[in-house]
Amino acid sequence: MTTDELDPLIHVPARLKIVATLAALPQGDALSFTRLQDMIGLTPGNLIVHLRKLEDADYVTSEKTGNGAASRTTVTLTEHGRTALQTYTAALRDLLGGL
Amino acid sequence: MTQAGGAARGDGNGEDAGRTGDGGLDPQQAAALLDQATLEARRGFATSPALWVFRAFLALIAFGGFWLSLRHQHPYTGLPSGWALAVAFTLVAINIGWSTIAIRRAGAGVSGPTQRARQAWLGMMLAAWIVAYAVTAPLHHAGTSHPTWGLYPASAPLMFVGLVGAITAPARRDWPMTGICLAVAAIAAIAGFGGPAGAWLILAIGLCAALLCAAAYRARQQGRSPVRA
Repeated sequence: MTTDELDPLIHVPARLKIVATLAALPQGDALSFTRLQDMIGLTPGNLIVHLRKLEDADYVTSEKTGNGAASRTTVTLTEHGRTALQTYTAALRDLLGGL
Repeated sequence: MTQAGGAARGDGNGEDAGRTGDGGLDPQQAAALLDQATLEARRGFATSPALWVFRAFLALIAFGGFWLSLRHQHPYTGLPSGWALAVAFTLVAINIGWSTIAIRRAGAGVSGPTQRARQAWLGMMLAAWIVAYAVTAPLHHAGTSHPTWGLYPASAPLMFVGLVGAITAPARRDWPMTGICLAVAAIAAIAGFGGPAGAWLILAIGLCAALLCAAAYRARQQGRSPVRA
């Protein structure tokens, strides 16, 4: 097995952190964009770029509620995203076992 | 900061370099980063095991203080001395303050069905505490005997609260909390056999041990590696 077999969408530092952070929440729970940003330590622009890529792959969903200053964006890891992380973790474990 | 952690705090866009092991994220770095991110997130979303250790010593000191002040009481009144009550109320106040801050911090920005169920459960447990201890007032007013008055506050409210928690926590699939609540109910039931003063000592030691086990379990769960599991 080689690193090429690791999910390229997750095998990026920032996105790996995003997915791992969201996976620490119970299934179905959402995290606000601002708290996620605090935990990951990315700029809002960078975080949006990475979340968009994860959203395109149906790994996460985001929801915006309210308007103007009261608006709030929440991010949720989908079941598909959780499964992808589990597969990635198992692949990583195999790779490390083989090294 | 680890090498992997440093990579994560970079510009976050170095995905092509990170795709392969060629100067990017190698498996060890990826595993370290996954471990670090998961452990940080678990700690961020949960209350600290230190809070459970504090609660364990709260039980030991507060209930142990009650036992110390009641064990040689003649005639037996069932009321702990002023210093024991002051210590207990101070520790309880600290626990409420610390717990409130910790729960708010852990739940900041988190929403969803689990959060709502957790808040509803906390509200119900608060109501159970109030109901359990409110019953002691009419009991005292009714002029029950001193041993009964002394025994009831030590054993019955905690048995009631523990059982309410043990019955309702499985609905949230919170098995560790179910275990703790069952342990509290069992210790409170056993304490009832210790007599008016001895009940407090059994509660002090039993609850301290149960809460220390809860703290150890939480610390172990929070520190478990997702990769090396």
